[in-house]
Amino acid sequence: MVWAAIIATTCLLLLVFQKVLWLVVPFLLALILYYFLYPPVRALIYRGVSRDAAASLVILVFLALLGIVGVALMPRLASQLAQWQDTVDRYVQGGAQLLDASLRSLEGHWSTLARARLADTVAARLSQGAGSIGDHLEPVALGIMAWTPSLLLAPFLAFFFLRDGRRFKRFLSAAVPNAFFEKTLFLLHEIDRTARAYFQGLINLTLLDTVTLAAGLWLLGIPEPLALGLICAVLAWVPYVGSILGGLLVVLVAATDFPADPAMAYWAIGLFGLVRLLDDFVYMPMTIGKSLELHPLITVLMIFAGGAVAGIPGLMLVLPVLGVVMVIGETIGLIVTDPRLMARHRYARALRREQASSDL
Amino acid sequence: MVNLFYPRKTSPRLDRLRELSLFVNLTPAELQIVDGLLHERHYLEGEVIFDEGEEGQAIYIIASGEVLISLPEQGNGRRATQADVNESAAYHPLRRQGDTGRVAQLGPGTFFGELALLDNSPRSATARAASPCQLIIFFRDDFVGLLDTHARIASKISRELACHLGARMRVMALSISAHQHLV
Repeated sequence: MVWAAIIATTCLLLLVFQKVLWLVVPFLLALILYYFLYPPVRALIYRGVSRDAAASLVILVFLALLGIVGVALMPRLASQLAQWQDTVDRYVQGGAQLLDASLRSLEGHWSTLARARLADTVAARLSQGAGSIGDHLEPVALGIMAWTPSLLLAPFLAFFFLRDGRRFKRFLSAAVPNAFFEKTLFLLHEIDRTARAYFQGLINLTLLDTVTLAAGLWLLGIPEPLALGLICAVLAWVPYVGSILGGLLVVLVAATDFPADPAMAYWAIGLFGLVRLLDDFVYMPMTIGKSLELHPLITVLMIFAGGAVAGIPGLMLVLPVLGVVMVIGETIGLIVTDPRLMARHRYARALRREQASSDL
Repeated sequence: MVNLFYPRKTSPRLDRLRELSLFVNLTPAELQIVDGLLHERHYLEGEVIFDEGEEGQAIYIIASGEVLISLPEQGNGRRATQADVNESAAYHPLRRQGDTGRVAQLGPGTFFGELALLDNSPRSATARAASPCQLIIFFRDDFVGLLDTHARIASKISRELACHLGARMRVMALSISAHQHLV
C-alpha cells in the first residue's frame, strides 16, 4: 500500500516537474554542484572556518576557476565556433557515408535488399529530410540562449544550499508538532543522506563511464578518447536517450576520422553497446541503485516508468525523486500507523486548546 | 583589525547555553557553532516528550521548567501532579519501593535521554513535562557530524556526558550496595 502510494506520488511529481523544467533543471544542477563542492566546504569547516565564510570562499574559488578556464579556452572556442558549421557538416557527412557504405554492403549480400534499392531510398530520404545544417543549428542556438539565464541560477542556488542548508532544516523542523519532532528530524537527515548518496553515486557513475569508455576508445585508436568518454558519460545522465546520443557521437567521429575503415565504426558501436550493458546492469545498480537502497529490478522498471510518464526529464529525475519520496513515504507511513504518536499529538493539541481558553 | 582583540560578542541565548552543564566547558566561539545545531521546543505541563521503548534520536536539555522521568507501569498513563513536582527536585537515579513509577524529576540545566547520543537503543523510560518547559534538543546525527567537523567541541561535550554517566553509575552502585546491606 505504502509502495503503491510512493510510486504514484513519484509519477505525479514527475508530471508536475515536467511543467516547471525551467526551475527543476537549475535546481538539479545546483544540487549536483552542492554535493560536488560540499567536501571542500566541509574541509574548511574542519579547519575552523565558519560555514558562511567557507561556502562563500568555495563558491568564489569555483567561479574564479570557471572564469579562468573560460578565458583560457575562449580563443580556441572562438576559432572552433567559426568552423563549427563545417565541422558538424563534416561529421554528419561522415555518418551518412558510413550508413551508405553499410547499406550497399548489405545489398551485396542480400539480393532482396539490392532489388529494393535500399541504399538509394535511404540516401534520398536523408537528403530530403535533413535540410541544411544551418536550419538545425538555429533552434539549438535559440534553445541555448533561452536556457542560459535559467542555468546561471545553478551556482547561486548551490551557494545558498551550502550556506543555509542547515538553517532550512531547522526552519522545517520547527514547524512540526512536538509528537513527531524526533521522527521528522530523522526524516530530514535521511532525505539529506539519500540525496547525497544519489548525487555522489552519479559522480562515481560518471567517473566509471568516462574511464571505461576512454580506455575502450583509446584501445580502438579513436582520437581524443578522454574528452569523448567524458561527453558520453555526462550525456548518460539522461538514461537511454543520452546514451544513444553519446553512441551516435562516437560512431560519427569514428566514421569521419577513419573513412576508409568502416570496421572502426562497428567496433565503436560494439564498445558502446558493451559499456551501456555494463552501465545499466552493473555500474548503475552498484552506484546509484545501491545508494538509494533500491532493488536493481525496481531501478530499471522505474526508469522506464519515468520515461513513459514525463519523457526525457522523467528519465533524468525519476531516481532522485523516487529516493526522496520513498524516504518521506516510509516515514509518514511509520508516523500515521503509530497509534501512540497520534494519541500523543491529539493529547498535546487538547492541552494547547485548554491552555488557550483557560482564562475565558 | 582592532576588533580582533575585542572579546567575541555574546548573546543572552549563548550565555544561557553556557550555563547548561553539557556545554559548560565550551568557549563562546564553540558555543556559537553548537548553537547552530540545537533545536528548541516548548512543552506544556503533562505533555509526553518521549515514550519508553521509542527509538532515541536526540538528547534533551532543560532550559526552563521541569521534566518527570518515569517507568511505564504507572508512569505512562498518569499526568504529573503538583505533589510530584514539589516532592522531588533532585535527581533520583533509582526507582525505590513504593515509588509510583517516577524515576526522577529534573530541573533547568540538566539533561536526559543522553544514551540516544551514543547509540540508537530504545528509550529506557518515559519523559513528560512536569511543568511548562522549554527544552533544547541535540540530534544524534548532528552530534556525530560534530565529531567529524569539530572534534575538540565534541570531545568536550563527550567528557561532560561521560562525567554525568559516571556519577549516575556511582550512585547506582552505592544504592545497590546499601540495598544488599539492608537485606
